[in-house]
Amino acid sequence: MKLNELKENTEAVVKDINGDSRFIGRITSIGLTPGCRFSVVKNDKNRPMLLYSRDTMISLGRSECKGVEVEEVRA
Amino acid sequence: MSTATIALLGQPNSGKSTLFNALTGLKQHVGNWPGKTVEKKEGSFARNGVTYDVADLPGSYSMSANSDEEVITRDFITSGKADVVCILADSSQLERSLFMLADYAGIDAPCFLVLNMEDVAKDQGKTVDVALLEKKLGIPVMMFSATDTKAYDQFYFTLERALKEKSHINVSELEKEYEKIIGYNEIKEQIKGGNISGYTPMWLTVKYLENDKVVSAKLKESLPADAASKIESIGLDANGAIATGECKFKWIDELLEGAVNKTKTGVKLGKLDRIYTHRFWGKPAVVLTVILGLLGSFIPALPIMAVASIFDVLKNVIGDALVSVGCPAFVTGLVCDVVIQSFSYIVKMLGFVFGVTLVFGMLEEVGVMARISYVFDNTMGKLGLQGKSVMPFLVSFGCTMGGAAGARVIDNWGQKVLTIALAWAVPCGAAWAIIPMLSTVFFGAGAPLIIVVLLLVMILHMWITAKIFGRTLVKTEDRCGMIMELPPYHKPKWGALFRYVFGRTKDTFFRVVKVVLIVCLIFYILSYGSGVNDTSILYKVGTAIEPVTKIFGLPWQLFIAFVASSVGKEGAVGVISALYAGGSYGEGFMAAMSGAARAANLNELLLANVSRPEALAFIFAITFNLPCVVALAATYQEIHSVKWTAKIAIYYTVGALILACLAYHVGLMIW
Repeated sequence: MKLNELKENTEAVVKDINGDSRFIGRITSIGLTPGCRFSVVKNDKNRPMLLYSRDTMISLGRSECKGVEVEEVRA
Repeated sequence: MSTATIALLGQPNSGKSTLFNALTGLKQHVGNWPGKTVEKKEGSFARNGVTYDVADLPGSYSMSANSDEEVITRDFITSGKADVVCILADSSQLERSLFMLADYAGIDAPCFLVLNMEDVAKDQGKTVDVALLEKKLGIPVMMFSATDTKAYDQFYFTLERALKEKSHINVSELEKEYEKIIGYNEIKEQIKGGNISGYTPMWLTVKYLENDKVVSAKLKESLPADAASKIESIGLDANGAIATGECKFKWIDELLEGAVNKTKTGVKLGKLDRIYTHRFWGKPAVVLTVILGLLGSFIPALPIMAVASIFDVLKNVIGDALVSVGCPAFVTGLVCDVVIQSFSYIVKMLGFVFGVTLVFGMLEEVGVMARISYVFDNTMGKLGLQGKSVMPFLVSFGCTMGGAAGARVIDNWGQKVLTIALAWAVPCGAAWAIIPMLSTVFFGAGAPLIIVVLLLVMILHMWITAKIFGRTLVKTEDRCGMIMELPPYHKPKWGALFRYVFGRTKDTFFRVVKVVLIVCLIFYILSYGSGVNDTSILYKVGTAIEPVTKIFGLPWQLFIAFVASSVGKEGAVGVISALYAGGSYGEGFMAAMSGAARAANLNELLLANVSRPEALAFIFAITFNLPCVVALAATYQEIHSVKWTAKIAIYYTVGALILACLAYHVGLMIW
């Protein structure tokens, strides 16, 4: 599923990243790589998403979220 | 005295700017990298008989070639200009922030690692085993808190050590990870033969795998033809950057294993962040924050503004003295109305700039600005801007110069220029002092409607301006959506911040003085008439081209007032007042310069001489004209480009006349 389909307060793992090399470079540099576990802190319409991963609060634009393929982890 | 050059490298929010300001203080120089639209910050300090030149490398996230900033950073480091590179990471989030170090590993330049934000990490219950990290990495490593004055001795000590040891990062474990990637060994084998200074074959191979265009081109150029074609024939994963990224993070994880102790990881948003990220309250909270910041910036500004009133006293005293010794009127005017008056203006404005830079610089350092970016990202993104741009816009309702100074927190040059260009469309405090007055005189109860229309036109103006300039300033391929960290809040370093703000205000002062004096002098000469109207050049030109300006709805008196409003909007009414009262233009202009002397019967004068469509045209013309000469100078100071400053200024002058023309003809249809 796509990152933006996740609900608030869920945990998930990054499966794949799709986009041009610029996008991949940027998203890698902020720590989102395949296998990386994160939690969804905020997911409001028309707002960037807020994720927490590698001790970092990350804000990700809505169109950027579409390039991140994820899998939900059930606790 | 010997010299050494240090380059500071770190992701945004690593505390790089704070360290740079603390190290160099007032000894800074800000310009642009030659031929590039990227800000260049350099500074220096002396210690133990050594002069250190510090280069604050432009903000980037990695050592890739995705932006001009990153290419410049990379070229600077590998050119050998830096004796040592200081890599900064945030010790409260090492897992992520060591990425820069991992991406740097393999570049052939000595470095050391500074783990900043020690205080934040401590608060989170994290401890770092620096000795273990040093052992694993093979370079000097230190914990640091850029806001702690006592920490600097340790910094200087580590710096001296790094300069002596000139050590490189131990990459053997990292390379073991890379070797697992398909094609890595084959490519590296070919690259080994080439000779590209500054980089190791490992680093070049990784960048090639990442589809780095600059590196690919360099390899093609420097490798023998057969090696180059062999590399090209090796089948690669299209997403090499993902694979290498995984390697880098794996290496970081191994590096940190046993070196970092953490008690807990908090995922919860703080109270303040719950408000800022609230779906409904977020925007009002940001607007309120900016307004409070704006009000707060008057506290440090007021004492400086008070100094400006000395100039008003000086002007009268010196003016009287010059007249009494029989000095020619032209010279008296030059001294009092151009030089002294200009300084009075400049100092008043500088007070405001000082306050704005201090308060918004503080908000940036504390981490509030990142929240503002988050909240307004969607809205500002439509204009091709960062969410932060909302702040200069709001500040510009008070003063455009403050808006320009506030745009400093925008880290991309093109977006900064575009933000300032759009902020000019926001009517400033001086415009708000005239527009309601003029609207009420001519349109009575319809005045609020005029103001609403002006605000709508402002939004439309900004949208069109963004379309026109956005294409060149913020190229579509450079438009990157938001991928940003919301940093933990931290305390500002007041000493460094104050020194930095003083330094910048001083720079602004010198640049502004030049521009303002020149522009005011030109206006003075153009408008100088020996007591009678028809001797000044402006009057002659104004009356001669009146048939043309009438098309825009501006009789010559209003046109000249429009021209004068480019110097300062406050003056526009003073000019009309003088002209319609039958005074000389020269006097009117001087009156305008010193702050709008109005005839007592101004309302009757206006109503008797100006029709409603003309008044409407005039209101539009001055509202959307360039804000004032000081804002022009401040814009130049922030964007370091004569070309773009001139472009924006001409665009606004022409744009204001077009809007006036439209307003006039709409007015003619109504009345």
